[in-house]
Amino acid sequence: MNCSEIKPQIYNYLGFKGVAESPDTDELIVSCLGKLEKTAQFNSLYRAFENAPEFLKKPPYESFLAGTAGVILSVTTLGAGVDRLINRLYRTDMARAVVFDACASAYLEAKSDEFERTLGDNLTYRFCPGYGGSSVEDLKYIFEILKPEKIGVTLNESLFMLPAKTMAGVIGIGKKVKKTCEGCFMLPHCKYREEGKRCYASEKTL
Amino acid sequence: MLRLGKNVIVFDGGFGSELERLGLEGIPEDLNMTSPEEIKGIHRSYSCADIITTNTFGLNRIKYHGAYELKDVAVRAVENARAAGKTVFFDVGPTGAMLEPIGTLSFEEAYEAFAEIADITKDIVDGYIAETFSDLYELKACVLALKEHSDKLVFATATFDSTCRTLTGSTPEIVANTLEGLGVDALGVNCSLGPKELLPIVERLVNSTNVPIIVQPNRGLPVLEGGKTVYKLGIDEFDEYTEKMLGLGVSVIGGCCGTTPEFIKRISRFSGTEVKRRAVEPKTVINSANVLVEIDGVKICGERLNPTGKKALKEALISENYDYLVDEALKQQEAGADLLDINVGLPQLDEKKVMPAVVKKVQEYCDLPLQIDSSDAEAIEAGVRLVNGIPLINSVNGDEEVMARVFPIAKKYGAVVLGLAMDKNGVPRTAEGRFEIAKRIISRAADFGIPRHKIMIDTLVVTASAEQALVKETLGALRLVKELGVKTALGVSNVSFGLPNRPLLNRTFLTMAMTCGLNMPILNPLDGEMTGAVKAFGVLSGEDENSEKFIEAYKDYSPAAPTAALTSQKKQEKSASSLYDCVVAGLKNKAEELCERELETKDPLSVVNDILIKALNEVGSLYESGKLFLPQLVSAAEAAKAAFAAVGRHMPKDAEPKGKVILATVKGDVHDIGKNIVKVVLESYGYRVIDLGKDVPPERVVEAYKEHKPIVIGLSALMTTTVKGMEETVAALRAENCTAKIFVGGAVLNAETAERIGADYYTRDALEMAKLLDELFPQNKG
Repeated sequence: MNCSEIKPQIYNYLGFKGVAESPDTDELIVSCLGKLEKTAQFNSLYRAFENAPEFLKKPPYESFLAGTAGVILSVTTLGAGVDRLINRLYRTDMARAVVFDACASAYLEAKSDEFERTLGDNLTYRFCPGYGGSSVEDLKYIFEILKPEKIGVTLNESLFMLPAKTMAGVIGIGKKVKKTCEGCFMLPHCKYREEGKRCYASEKTL
Repeated sequence: MLRLGKNVIVFDGGFGSELERLGLEGIPEDLNMTSPEEIKGIHRSYSCADIITTNTFGLNRIKYHGAYELKDVAVRAVENARAAGKTVFFDVGPTGAMLEPIGTLSFEEAYEAFAEIADITKDIVDGYIAETFSDLYELKACVLALKEHSDKLVFATATFDSTCRTLTGSTPEIVANTLEGLGVDALGVNCSLGPKELLPIVERLVNSTNVPIIVQPNRGLPVLEGGKTVYKLGIDEFDEYTEKMLGLGVSVIGGCCGTTPEFIKRISRFSGTEVKRRAVEPKTVINSANVLVEIDGVKICGERLNPTGKKALKEALISENYDYLVDEALKQQEAGADLLDINVGLPQLDEKKVMPAVVKKVQEYCDLPLQIDSSDAEAIEAGVRLVNGIPLINSVNGDEEVMARVFPIAKKYGAVVLGLAMDKNGVPRTAEGRFEIAKRIISRAADFGIPRHKIMIDTLVVTASAEQALVKETLGALRLVKELGVKTALGVSNVSFGLPNRPLLNRTFLTMAMTCGLNMPILNPLDGEMTGAVKAFGVLSGEDENSEKFIEAYKDYSPAAPTAALTSQKKQEKSASSLYDCVVAGLKNKAEELCERELETKDPLSVVNDILIKALNEVGSLYESGKLFLPQLVSAAEAAKAAFAAVGRHMPKDAEPKGKVILATVKGDVHDIGKNIVKVVLESYGYRVIDLGKDVPPERVVEAYKEHKPIVIGLSALMTTTVKGMEETVAALRAENCTAKIFVGGAVLNAETAERIGADYYTRDALEMAKLLDELFPQNKG
């Protein structure tokens, strides 16, 4: 993966407010991404359906999936090694831990995008339970159907997916839809928007 | 009658795809109760296989939340599988919960869940197959539970990804060594990949153990076709790869996701054929979940986690400050240790309680394999049991009683044992005498079923000052013992006790010992002279091929600083000349050093008020104005914290420190990035932080409140689902009439939510909290 592609997103996560980048942090990012490529074990699991599973037959999924020809449920993860390394860095080098954590998040996003491109061109973005007023409870259905423990991913009682660098999503087939802030549950107090930015890579921030 | 390891045995294939074909929906385990005839039908369709697995993949108390009693489902599932008229293995899948430290499920809880299954089924099944595990630690818990609670065959398979690692980072060699050590009857790989992709993993498995290998591939990789995921690999190709695997020496074959009775019918043609013989040469190997170390050539065992003669470590152990041990472990790992010795032997401690706690804590952060070091067999077992992987046990000696206590533990957990060449009568004076004891240890181990390659011998170092003539006996014994085909160890630094220039003697003795065949010096890895000698020996003995490791270690060598090459000081070399600049620039080591220098001429309080507080204010305003960002803020906080540590050492003992702050990520929540940042920033402001960690239940926060009497309690939660845990914690504290101010923070929190759940303050980030604290508690300032 090209480091410069995800760097803006990493700076975004680190709270750089559109001011000059720092050479120190730049150096740290490059070294963290190098380590990340060695440590991360990207893995994915998906299943496609012509007819959407029952739990998607309610708002806001219904409107999100309107006009699609099918739906994909997916789980992507960087594996437990990344969590372990972040935990260790918190003990040995906090600044590196913070940067590494942000790099891992951006890396997971990018790897997941890359993986989705292998599934086809005509797809919506990943709609993750929790977006747009949907409930994170829906993760339970995704876990029941996909059984992501096969790729080492678990869901705890508080509906956290572990390893932490994991994403679960609902993707519509046969319709191109890009991500927007509309309906995001963080919208009322989004720290990115306060600064005129977005949490995802959009033309605005790049 | 098929004989495991001699005749090829065929397992059944995919179950999920058959359920789907029959249109059976719902929790698969419940179908044993609701659709027994259909389930029996699927089992019968696999009667071409030699072994049928029950439909119980998700049946354990942690994962199963179906409509029936676990016991009833288990019994019925076995009955259903019996319908095929074949040998029945009970299918045991993972709990679906993440074990500590990444998750919150303890090793013991996982063990109990698997033990319950074995208790229910041990008399009605023919064997167990623990399958699709991606966490070696959970697999260990499962195998131990099945073996301790039943006497049936246990097969175990892990699932790997295309990089040939399990999802928790274990290689095929690590999985094989661990499972072989635990005494499974067959081990291998299943699921996640097709037979083609599994081939390289299978090749590595067959070359790392002589235990029968089992392989159950998926029907290739799934592809997306017209809005559906399908498996497309043909039967011919599946059969072809199965034959290839048998050619490598695989003993047991079958199928996983996507495979159908047709696939198994085809490969059942191999049933009963002769298994290709393998003869993997045994090696002395220990491993953690992620690191495998073959004791060969010279491997360094770090000795710093042994309290003998180490005051700070003693204090840390007594006060249960295991963080100190973790730091020591990581330092040794960083300095190049290959494995770490853990010894917690102090008269005031209950070793069998402390050993497992320390093992758990150290392996949470440190990747290296461990040596469990104790003279108390119970403590050894408690430690070895919790090791994630295969450890070394230190030690037994030629005394029959000691061997009888320790060898059964080593056998059960597959540990390598270090045998000391001495017995009840002490250390023999001659090399021959020690050699005789070594022979006795090896022979006695064999009686317990422990092969020679699982034994190492320590020929025992004597101090040159007291017994000069005996030094050569130690070395002579090394040479003799090597002829027995076992690896050797020595605690080298004892040799110089009572003499001047100990480093010189130690290094010279180490070199002599390595020449005589020493494989594992137990030493201080932070001593660059010693590790340097090991590296140099690697070049001169030819072990370090092309001198690669040596060159890597010494590429920046300059004669002026012969041994300082160990830690990278790059960042420190930047030109920040004052303490103030160092804090602002986030230079931790230099800040501490310059602070010490300031303290030579100034009193501690003026260093704090005139330099540190001002530097922190500068950092704060740069951060707030967007000229400095999170990583720099954290670096600056770490630098200030290091400086404060120096200040603390110069403060009069009775000086009032700033108040205590308790921090916790609430129950159910396992994200602690935010809390960790708050911790370091508050510490940089001089507050004493008591960090309770993550997933902290309300009771523990209350307990800590009563114990520490903090001025503030800070609670963190990242998600809407865990704000509830936060609310409960606040309520529990209020019920105790908590006088500390309660702060809350985290991604989904805001002032309104904070008020609603009864907290006193919400701050949006670490810096805001630190500033508010200084405002609220001005008397504590500086």
